[in-house]
Amino acid sequence: MNSLSIGETHAGNVCIVTLSGRIDSSNANDVMAELTRLISSGEKSILVDLSAVLYLTSAAFRALLVATGKAKQQAANFALCSLAGQVRELFEMGGLLELFAIHNSREEALKQLGGPILRAP
Amino acid sequence: MTRAVDIRIRNDVAAIGIVRDTLDSLGREFGIPVRALTHLHVALDEIVSNVVKYSWDDGGQHELLVRITVRPDRVDLEIFDDGREFDPMTAPCPNLAPEGQRPPPGGLGIHMIKKLVDHFTYERIDGRNHTTLSKTCEVGTAIQRSNK
Repeated sequence: MNSLSIGETHAGNVCIVTLSGRIDSSNANDVMAELTRLISSGEKSILVDLSAVLYLTSAAFRALLVATGKAKQQAANFALCSLAGQVRELFEMGGLLELFAIHNSREEALKQLGGPILRAP
Repeated sequence: MTRAVDIRIRNDVAAIGIVRDTLDSLGREFGIPVRALTHLHVALDEIVSNVVKYSWDDGGQHELLVRITVRPDRVDLEIFDDGREFDPMTAPCPNLAPEGQRPPPGGLGIHMIKKLVDHFTYERIDGRNHTTLSKTCEVGTAIQRSNK
């Protein structure tokens, strides 16, 4: 049973990827493939919303690290937002918080990444 | 009250869903606290994927046994496999810098397991690897909470 879902939407020039469910060794490659596809397609700002993630394992962290590296190569922004309690705890356990651009909320991230909220009066 | 469930899976990451679903069912049935259950799920995925990826290098199909034992004060996860001798405790620590590069195989996962469970042991017995992870938790409290 694959219990991961991946949703996408745009807010201005930011592509928001919403991950829901569990990201583990059985489906982390799907996340990596989709993020890599978006970066290769020319997206210049990608925000991954983790608010609906139940947990993630090292396979998922690797996928996010690879995407971070690819975004850097393509001069694209790549950020994460909305790490809920247990998800944030797992990032902390892995010593991973400092390896990503992490925002507390989608709104805060969009302000930084230049989404529509920044342009609102 | 102790319940042990044995699950035999093939050496394929796609098969990990079977043990994940079994742990979910046991979590619901016995009221394993949510945070402990999450830690067990992550640790289980790390150790089983580690065995699947690194125990055999012949490209063939193999089987491993996962035993989940729910006790009043803890949950044990045991993995038995007949792959090459490999003590996961000796896996290197993650080297995550420079940013964007993959850490060494297994390193981050093993580091996570050490943080997630209370006991992590490895033995080589009769040509088989036997890895045990134990998480201390008050089993039954999640049921009590949900009944309130």
